[in-house]
Formats: sequence, structure tokens, C-alpha cells
Amino acid sequence: MMKKTALAVALAAAFASAPAFAEEDLRAEMRALREEVQRLRAELDAVKAAAPAARSAQVATPIAPVPASAQTSVASTSTTPPTGATVAAAAEPVESATRLFGYGEISFSRPQDAAQAQATVGRVVLGLGHQFNERTKIVTELEVENAVVSADDQGEVAIEQAYVEHQINDGLAVKAGLYLIPLGYLNESHEPPNYFGVKRNFVETAIIPTTWREIGIGLTGNTDFGLRWDAGVTTGFDLTKWDATDAETLESPLGAVHQEGQFAKAGNLALYGALNYNGQPGLNVGGGVFIGDVAQKQPDFASSNARLTLAEAHARWTPGNWDLSALYAIGSFSNVEQFNLTQVGNPYPVPKRFDGWYAQAGYKAWSHGDYALLPFVRYEQFNTARKYDDALAQFGYAAQPTEAVVTAGASFKLHPQVVLKADYQWFRENSSRDMFNLGIGFAY
Amino acid sequence: MYDWPRPHPLAARYLLACAMCVSLLGCGGSGDSAPGPSAPGLPSETLSTVGELGRQIFLDPSLSASGKMSCATCHDPSAGHAAPGSGSGNIGTPDGGTQLDVQGFRKAPSLRYLRFAPAFNFDAEGTPNGGFMRDGRFGSLAEQASKPFFEPHEMALADSAALAAKARVAPWAAAFRAQFGESVFDDPARALDRIAYALAAYQKEDPDFARFDSKYDAFLAGKTKLSDSEMRGLALFNDPRKGNCAACHPASTPANAPGPLFTDFSYDNLGVPRNPKIRANADPNRFDLGLCGPFRADLTGRTDLCGAFKVPTLRNVALGGPYFHNGRFETLKEVLRFYVRRDTNPEEWYPRLPDGSIDKFDDLPAAWKGNVNTSEAPYNRKPGDAPALNDAEIDDLIAFLNTLNDGWQQK
Repeated sequence: MMKKTALAVALAAAFASAPAFAEEDLRAEMRALREEVQRLRAELDAVKAAAPAARSAQVATPIAPVPASAQTSVASTSTTPPTGATVAAAAEPVESATRLFGYGEISFSRPQDAAQAQATVGRVVLGLGHQFNERTKIVTELEVENAVVSADDQGEVAIEQAYVEHQINDGLAVKAGLYLIPLGYLNESHEPPNYFGVKRNFVETAIIPTTWREIGIGLTGNTDFGLRWDAGVTTGFDLTKWDATDAETLESPLGAVHQEGQFAKAGNLALYGALNYNGQPGLNVGGGVFIGDVAQKQPDFASSNARLTLAEAHARWTPGNWDLSALYAIGSFSNVEQFNLTQVGNPYPVPKRFDGWYAQAGYKAWSHGDYALLPFVRYEQFNTARKYDDALAQFGYAAQPTEAVVTAGASFKLHPQVVLKADYQWFRENSSRDMFNLGIGFAY
Repeated sequence: MYDWPRPHPLAARYLLACAMCVSLLGCGGSGDSAPGPSAPGLPSETLSTVGELGRQIFLDPSLSASGKMSCATCHDPSAGHAAPGSGSGNIGTPDGGTQLDVQGFRKAPSLRYLRFAPAFNFDAEGTPNGGFMRDGRFGSLAEQASKPFFEPHEMALADSAALAAKARVAPWAAAFRAQFGESVFDDPARALDRIAYALAAYQKEDPDFARFDSKYDAFLAGKTKLSDSEMRGLALFNDPRKGNCAACHPASTPANAPGPLFTDFSYDNLGVPRNPKIRANADPNRFDLGLCGPFRADLTGRTDLCGAFKVPTLRNVALGGPYFHNGRFETLKEVLRFYVRRDTNPEEWYPRLPDGSIDKFDDLPAAWKGNVNTSEAPYNRKPGDAPALNDAEIDDLIAFLNTLNDGWQQK
């Protein structure tokens, strides 16, 4: 298993060698810009050819949701997908105000115990957007997880997003409905070609519960110097759902109490805020915080003033062929002691703190036309129960051990939006989870 | 489906009120002292007309061959709707029959919180669940309520005609006619059906059957704290490695109830020792096998279920024993010691055979002793192992169980 020091050396070497690729990096960016101009020209020609009615519905902003880092990042790497609008423009000669987009992933995982080997259609998501005019659009996404949904199957159908967005002016937009909370990288940008690894990283699933959406209203602003800011008020988590006998609460504390827009208890609303700086080409630095009470004013709940605070900070740098990123996330439940005391003896109390971080390095080792090969390595540490209330100590509760995972593998892109993936994962605490993964992913 | 007259609700209530006035004047009031939700002569504030009729039927001893046994005799409202410490041999069921001298076979269960029980079913994993009676053989509260009238060891009426004849002259008969039709008693089967319907309505409507006002409920709501001993007991109750009680008696709130029910309505085979105080057990070949008979007849072929009985709620369990389906143990201390020492010290619970060996699980035929649950804590032990709980821990657990009694009030 790779040690942290070895990883640090690898990262240091990667950064040190970055200047050597500056010239090639510049050429790549110029190529990308040239292609983008060509696409825009084709799109403009199509708009001119369209009827006046269609012209009035011409899109000004992409219909498909766009991650924070992708919206303003000039030096978008090959792991950042084209927007839905761009893709549609390339595929359709005539612009349409209604767009279909989506993504999917199919994976195979083989742990050491062959009996646990498994293949599944992890998810297929169909998105439909409509641009009413240059300022107002809707975005909807319908997701099917694990292929089959019925009373006897484990699959799930969900509306992942359903919101209206209105562009108030060039630098300010407001959205309302069910939408993704802009914390971290994966939550807003989780299409398989956008991330390394067959499976999503642990920190942004166990600590930040990707794909995490809430019903609410939010503002997004962009400044001339490359700062994007987000703020909003939404539904939050429902701690009254916490089942201290269910191991899922240990896998993802917030995933176990999320509401996903289904009859979400809204006695308590939550606030969020996020900042992303994209002013330097190829660089994104940001962070965010989400805070809200989680008892939802439910009667007869022991911890009536329980609160969740989730915060994260992230950075991504894409010099030349490199794609380097790091993220830290920390969550905290406060005022939950009384509820936890009602659950003593059960194996999974509400943690006082849970956190994790990762550092990741990817490199475009080879490319030819649309083909590209991108090896990567990621080191992450996470603990979903870093600390419990002191009052639980007398009942034998102690913090969980911190898990560390190294994931190494590669993405092979048939096209910027179609990827084949392979990797191996090493677990420090529970080596029985070590596994080999294969995956197919696409977005359109 | 039934097609009985439906008088205007207000008219029905008025008639019922009048009928109650007459009954009180004529009889001097009910012979039972159970608390009623309504003032004399007035319709109830909390019960529907049918529910109020059910309450009166529930308390009426005239519907028995002895004239002295009502539903409340075995399901006393002042004792958690059960009958702790009752019956010859103290098996927890009052003796019935025409002379009140016929012993029962099983401990009378509490009727509380039964409104949340599902009908009997096999779940997705094929395990039995729900139903009424200890073997789940009845599908509803109404079906269950209709049976004791005719059991020889209970109310011992000959048939529904005998019941209708007694009901016809009961204090509540006029109100019953007003609700279900003047001719209701002329059709005994229909009269029985409506009596059971009213009894079920009473059990579903009267808050006393599902109070959720124990100290534990107040604790869950953040309105009080448990003592140190009660807290330790709760931890032992939940801990899968210690008491593991919550595995069958969940302490968490299910989706269909406002509070924990302390039963998952599943079935388990605990290998409870034979109770020699049950006279029928004098026959060495007689066994009460729960799901597979003798009272239940539709699962006799499922020999893998022989010996399994429904998991009861633990609310009000501390009001008094005896415990288990056959009333084998008189105190909670005995019950909990049995749970944790059954497999570590079987000699404490079972008789010895002539060859000196221990006749473990002696209330089951040899062929089905393998059905007993020996895989889950606290049973997953063998002689020589330490019991899952020591005596001090058992005392803590009992302290916790005492927090489950209805009617707790902040001091």
C-alpha cells in the first residue's frame, strides 16, 4: 500500500514538473479555444437560419446543470464535460429550446472474496431542460439506480433535480426548486467522465452525501474577477429518521438522514454559502458551508435543538496535462446528546464529528483525436464517527477508526464524454474491502 | 358485506344515551369498576357510538355461562388489560367455564397496543409475522374478540344463539338494536358479528389501549431522564452483544405508531420449560406447539415452526407475571435469568432424564427441539460460558423494563 510520504513525493514531483509542460499546455488551450469558436460559429449560423420564434428562445446559458468550477474555468480540462448546450449544438444543426441530456455508469467490482464480486448499472440519468427565453430555464433530471425498480428489487427511481433558474443580469441568477447544493466538486459535477475512479470518492459520498439535493431557493453570482458565489435557503436533514441500529448511518451519516425532496420535513430550514475563485486559468479554489437545525420541530424528539454544520474547502489545478485536486470536508452534529442517550446500547449513535480529505493527481499520458489515456492516483482518509458525545463514553462508545484508501487506475476516453475506467483500491483498516473495479461511463 | 340500518348518527347517540340511562336506573350501574371515558348517561367524548357499545360489552359479565366472566376478567383495564397473578396454578389466565373452575392453557395476553398488529403473514423472507392470539391464528381484533365467548375454559357459551339470547336482555341491548337494527338479535350469527365489531371498535378507539405515556415515552420526548440504573438497563436491552432484547422487542418507533411497540410481531421458539401447573400437561404426549398446533390448524405441516410463539409487547410487562405463553415463570428476574442461563446452565431450568442427562427443551417433542433459537444472543452459548448478563445487569434491565409501564407521571 502506498504510504502518505510516497504520495506526497509524487505530488511534489508533479507540481515541480508543471512548468515544463507550460508551452504544451498553452497550445492545448489554444486548440480548445479554436474548436470552441468553430462550434459557436456553427451555432450562430444555425440560429440565423432558424425561425424568429425559435430565435426568441435562443439559449444564453446552458440548460444542463454546470458545476461551479466549469462555469468560469477557462482552462477546462478534458475531465470537464462540455455543457449540454454545447453538445446539443454540435449534434443538431438547428437550435432547440428544449434539450435532452444525461449520463450513466456501469461498473464491475471484484473484492478479494469472489463471492462478493458484483456488476451493476449504477445509474442512468435522463435530463430534460427547457429554455423559455434568454433569462429563464428549467432543468429536470430523472435517475434510475441499479437497473431495476420494483417491490422486490433494490433499485431506486428519483427526481435528482427539478428547478427553475432565472438570470437576473449577466452576473446574477436565482434558482428555486430541487437542486444540488454547491459544496465540493462531485456533488454538482458527478457525471462519470468528470471524475477519476470507477466509484465516486469516499469523502464526497460518506461526508458530503453526493448526490445531495434540497428544495429551496438560491442565488448564484459571478464577478468580473472570476469569483463565483452561491447562497441560499433550503430544506435540510431530518435527524428524527436516524436509526441507531442501521449500519448505513456509519457509511454516510448524512446519507442516512437526507430528505431528497420527498415530503421533506421543513420545520427547520437550512442556509448555505459557497465561494469559488476561478480567476486564474486552470485554477479553482473554493469552499462552502451548510448549516441547519435537524430536529425539524418534530414533537417528542429528545434533541429538539439538534443542529448540523457541514463545511468543506477544495482546490483544483490543471497545469498542462496534469489534473491535481484536494478537498477537505468536516461535519458536526451538535446538541444531540439527549437523543443519543435514548439510543444507548445500539451500535450507531449520532456522531459529534465526521470528516475526511483527499488529494488526487491525474495526468493525460496520451491522446489522439478524441482518444485519451489518463492514469491517476488518489489518497483519502475519512472517518464517519470521529467523535461521539462525552456522555456516551460510560456506555463504551469510542470513536471509529479512520479509514484510509488509496485508489490507483486510469480513465481511457473514447471521446471526452465516453470513458472506460479501471482501478484498484487498497483499504488500510479493512483490507478485506480491497477491490478491483471496472467501469463504463458516459454523459451527453 | 352486511346491510344493516344506519340511523342518523345523532339519533343513534341519543338512543344510546337513553338506553344507558335506563340501564343505570334499572341495574344500579355497571358491576365492573373499570374507568369509562364517558359520564353516566352521556355518549362518550372519545368513543364512537359503536366503540361505546363495545366498551359496555367488554365489561359485561352476563355474556358468559357463569354470568361472572367478562372480557375484562382476563383483560383487566387496571392491570394493563391482562390478568397477572390469576388462575389456578397462577398461569395468568382466570379459570372459566360454567363454574369458573376450568383452567386455561395459555397466559392471557395484554390487549394493549394490539391495534398496531398486522394481520398474519409470511414476510418477504418467508418468516411468519403478525396475527392475533399467541399463535396468530386470527386475522383481526374482531375475529379474535368473537372467540372467547365459546371456549370451554373461558366464557363457555354453547353457541351464537346462546350469546344472542343473553345479549338480547343485556343492559345495552336497546342501544345495540338502535345501532344495528331491531332484528339484530334474531340472527345469532349477525349478532355475534356485530358484537365482535363493537369490541374491536372499542379496542381501536379507546386511548387506554395505546397510551404511550410511560416514563420511557417521556424520556424519548426529552421530558425526563432515566436513572443511572435504568440507563444501564436500556443499554443492555439494546446491545446486540448483551441482552439483545431489541432484536425482537424494538425500542424504536415504527412507521405505523406514535411510539415504540416493543414487539416486531415476529415469532420465536425459546424452548421455554414445560409448566407442570397446567393440568393438561399431565399427559406427557400433549404439547402446545404454537404456530403448528394444536389450537392453530392451518400450519400443522410446517414442523419447522413447531414451538414458535408470537413475540409480545413489553409495555406493561413489569405489572406482574407470570410470563411466557405457558406462564412458566412468575417473576421478571426468573425470565431474564432463564434467557441468559438457558444454555450456560441448562440444569437450572430443565429436569433430568432417568439416565441423568438433562431434558433440555422439555416442552417440545424430541423431533422438533432443533427448532429452538440457539443462534442469536443471548442464547448463543454453551455450558461453561459466562452468561450474557450477570445478576446486577439483570437488575438494571428490570429497572429499565419498569419504565415501560403506562401511566407514568412526573413527580
